Amino acid sequence: MGNLSINLKPNFMGLLKCLNSINWFIVFFSLINLSMCIYEDQIGKFDWRQSYVGRIKFAQFDTVSTARKIIVATEENVLAALNLKTGQVVWRHVFESTSSGNIQLLHLSDQIITVTGSNPYLVRGWDLSTGVLIWEWGLTLQKNEHTDFSEWWVQNGLLVHMVPKFGSHIEVSVYNVATGHNRGATSKLPAVWINEGCVLSPPYYTCISGSPGNQLLLSMDVTSDAVQIISKPLAEYTTARNGNLNPFDTNTVIPGFLLNEKIILIRGNKFEAINIAISEPSASVALVDSASGPLVLQTWNDEAKGFTLMAHNLVSGQRVNEIGWSDRSLSIPEPELSAVICTKTAREQHVCRILVTAADDASHLIQQEGRVLWTREEALANVVAVEFVDLPVSDLDAAIESEFDQKEAAKMHSSVLAAFTRRLQSQFQQLQGAVRALLAGDAAAADEPPPLVRDYFNLHKIMVLLTDTGKIFGMDNLSGEILWKLYEPNLNTEAAVMFTRRSARHPPHDAYLTVVGKHEETGNGLIVSLNPIRGTPVGEQTLHLDVQILQCAVLYKADAQKLHALILLDKDENVQILPESSAPLVENMYMHVADRSSAVVRGYALRHDGERVSAKNIWSVDLSGGGSQRVVWSVSKPAAERIHSAGRVLPDRSVLYKHLNPNLVLLLTEGPDPVHKDVVVATCVDGVSGGVLSAHVHRRARRPALPLHSEHFLAYLYYNDKQRRHEIATLELYEGPERWVPAGAAFSSLRGARAPHVQRHAYIVPAAPAAAALSATERSLTDKHVLLALSTGAIVELPWALLEPRRALSPAGEAREEGLVPYAPELPLPAEAVVNYNATLLRLTRIHTAPSGLESTSLVLATGLDLFYTRIAPSKTFDLLKDDFDYYLISVVLAALVLATYSTKYFAARKMLKMAWK
Amino acid sequence: MNTKIIIIYISTFVLGNVYCASDLTEEEIGHVIEGRVFPPEDPNNSNWQLDTRVHVNGGEYIGFVREDGTFVVHNLPSGSYVVEIVHPDYMYEPVRVEINSKGKYRARKVNYVQTSQVIQVPYPLRMKPVTKFRYFQVREQWRLTDFLFNPMVVMMVLPLFLIMILPKMMNDPETKEDLKQISNLAKISDVPEMSEMFTKIFNRGSVPKPTSSKAKQIKKRQ
Repeated sequence: MGNLSINLKPNFMGLLKCLNSINWFIVFFSLINLSMCIYEDQIGKFDWRQSYVGRIKFAQFDTVSTARKIIVATEENVLAALNLKTGQVVWRHVFESTSSGNIQLLHLSDQIITVTGSNPYLVRGWDLSTGVLIWEWGLTLQKNEHTDFSEWWVQNGLLVHMVPKFGSHIEVSVYNVATGHNRGATSKLPAVWINEGCVLSPPYYTCISGSPGNQLLLSMDVTSDAVQIISKPLAEYTTARNGNLNPFDTNTVIPGFLLNEKIILIRGNKFEAINIAISEPSASVALVDSASGPLVLQTWNDEAKGFTLMAHNLVSGQRVNEIGWSDRSLSIPEPELSAVICTKTAREQHVCRILVTAADDASHLIQQEGRVLWTREEALANVVAVEFVDLPVSDLDAAIESEFDQKEAAKMHSSVLAAFTRRLQSQFQQLQGAVRALLAGDAAAADEPPPLVRDYFNLHKIMVLLTDTGKIFGMDNLSGEILWKLYEPNLNTEAAVMFTRRSARHPPHDAYLTVVGKHEETGNGLIVSLNPIRGTPVGEQTLHLDVQILQCAVLYKADAQKLHALILLDKDENVQILPESSAPLVENMYMHVADRSSAVVRGYALRHDGERVSAKNIWSVDLSGGGSQRVVWSVSKPAAERIHSAGRVLPDRSVLYKHLNPNLVLLLTEGPDPVHKDVVVATCVDGVSGGVLSAHVHRRARRPALPLHSEHFLAYLYYNDKQRRHEIATLELYEGPERWVPAGAAFSSLRGARAPHVQRHAYIVPAAPAAAALSATERSLTDKHVLLALSTGAIVELPWALLEPRRALSPAGEAREEGLVPYAPELPLPAEAVVNYNATLLRLTRIHTAPSGLESTSLVLATGLDLFYTRIAPSKTFDLLKDDFDYYLISVVLAALVLATYSTKYFAARKMLKMAWK
Repeated sequence: MNTKIIIIYISTFVLGNVYCASDLTEEEIGHVIEGRVFPPEDPNNSNWQLDTRVHVNGGEYIGFVREDGTFVVHNLPSGSYVVEIVHPDYMYEPVRVEINSKGKYRARKVNYVQTSQVIQVPYPLRMKPVTKFRYFQVREQWRLTDFLFNPMVVMMVLPLFLIMILPKMMNDPETKEDLKQISNLAKISDVPEMSEMFTKIFNRGSVPKPTSSKAKQIKKRQ
């Protein structure tokens, strides 16, 4: 017995210890798991997803299978089937986003044939009805620069690959489509006359060659066994000195091409000029087959008539009147005929379905008489920047607010009577509104879309999305519906930024949003100002600057119109203020500019000297580390962030104060290193004084990505080359147990040069992260959660507590009391934490978060190939009733209680009466 | 000049994320990763091949699943790759495949913490679904037993029982008799009382006299 107890005792003590430590885990993880999951019946209640495919490159109507579809291949390397009636994605295959996923060919027969990549190529066959892969084979050619001009097509069940070597010969290879078996090896056709201006119209390759004035139009069937060249003087077909060859946008009938707005066909080894005039040089021309012979379709955007379409019969040259219309209301800039299908009805009428792709990446399926069946805004597959804009309050709310908010008005007529009449007036208005709403009833309300006014919790907003093509969208965040769109063809959105310069809070002034980008051609600054609620241009409207912009910012002070001025620092270090009248407001303004390649960061101080604002370079930091490093990311704090929690309470009742420096900038640099292969350096720089607060070096690391910066903490991801895994490094900055500045005083970077206490850790991310964001709430009182978008298509919500650098390996008593989780190297990514459940989001690029009117709730929009919107509550919805709150039960209980009270009162009275009679 | 200095500093600087393009020599390209995906055992999951994607190194290379579940990822240079099968509803274990410059393959389990640990798995890969993802919390359902055994309810019901039912039972004639019997039983059973015992012990000597006299008196009467 004694022996047993000796054996048992240490084990038992160990077990107790173990239990004790496990306890913290249990408590902690149970809390996390509860706080994040959604219920299955909440699918689609707060979230929506929109699937996109990208700008359409190739499209073909599927006429074989029963379900009518359009098969499209896009610039985003996506192969997809779209429903012909609705335009929705039936199925979708996403290839690699790099050049190895480029789609070179889309061909439809009884199956879909695609060629992807650019040497090595992959040829794949897909089932037409289900979209499942049937076969695939790879092809690697000898590397040379000519393969970029190679052409693919399918002819008689054989895949033809042609590589032109300009000025020398053409290489043609023919393969069995399904197996890749090379039928007759590669044949080299001598052709010294080919050049870059040649066009292919399978199987003919056509060029203009020869000395000016004596040019020849040459064409050759590259697949025929006998080399036969058709040669004619160019002057026979055109009077212009220079011929310009263009292929048809869609051609399913006869080989042919366009020569200076003239259609030329190749029939029976002869050129044949067709007498159909092309009305516009920019028109998109298609040759399609129909029941009454081939048709020539042309479309262009006429300045006077709008979108115009015209059709001619190829044989007779007559106009086909039933196909052809103009529509001013359709805004389709630079239309391109992607696919056309024409049939005939019983009444011998042509019926055409036309898929048109415009310069703004939108695709429209148009039927007879210009009826648009559906439109896909494919620009949204490439969102560059997002801004959440508050909606204006309703007229009634505005009246109530003005009652309490009129300080100036109160001064003017401060009598009690005036205030009283105003109160009566507003209450009468409220009553009127209530009566009107009652009379209108529910029926009218259901038909109309909800008005664009702010709701009680400010959850309803407008999202302004800036896309890569320069199209700007205004989107309702609750429904995902596009409210307005604006296409700015000259806007280059590379490194473009958006600012909300005036919110809708200041009636009668409208909201004001500015996009700062570059001009497509010149690279000079291009500024677009608009009303984000309606999408109409305001203020400066579209402003072309005559200089390149180095840096831009918004002035922190608003002018009399509540408008925040835009400050632009141009290449010559001159400052422009928009509007000019705000220049005197510039005071204590600093800017920094990071040069990406030289890794030099410069700080500028902006001063107003009574006349104009000038910028002075006050500091510069060289982060190049001997010339090899370059800046990859530069992240400062979100400008609108408000922090209402200044420190952390420790278990001994003292406070650990956060270092809340609003000027802190995190700069991530990357570069090769002779010893450690690649090195990533993270540097925290004060944007005003230029002081370096901390710097961290990661050896054998590369691809630093997606830095997060908020409050007092920073995080960034990188790829650890040595261990071959993704890691996230986190930093927290603390001032210590005492504040540096008294409570309420503004932080100054120029006062005192104390370094904050930096704590840091790194964690393993057991997946490939594609994007990251932090939850944002109104006052930053709610816990911060990190949203990690993974390459698998999931967005995982992780509490910051799991990433905290204060997690110790084995927490001592105090840390344990504080609730710190012991350090674990690998981050858990449980399925419960996936906010988008099984709605997989392909090729995620960024996550945008915005606060709502509720402190608990943060709005999230994930962009990439898909758009996904949801809302998250990091500390659960503590300020809101649960959405499944049982109003019915509580009202029944209340009613029963009231009933019980009165009935017992009655019975008690009766009893008293009886007692009295006894 | 020493007055309060407010420094507000706003700057936004967007820099694109740039990835290094790996420069490859010609003979390095051309390895393939082969394998087979086993479908999840779900009868109404007919088109699972469409939802299943094969990601190598987080989407750097992508493979597609054929009708029979086999997949091939083409054109890989030699190196180490993590092969993931991505399905929205089912979890598959990722596998690390290493291809050396001679074209030899080794497949092993992914371990991000102990990266040197090798637990080999067969190659060509055989990917089987591990579990179904549990994305959703199960909503609590209202059950009578849950309600009744709720401590609050128990706390409410017990005093109610004591207040309302017990007096009623007292009024019932049968129970009254039962109670009487119980009390009688208590009287009959001659359990020595503590206080009496103590008084007996402490008052030995002085007190026994009157009792004995009383006994004598009784005896006399008899």
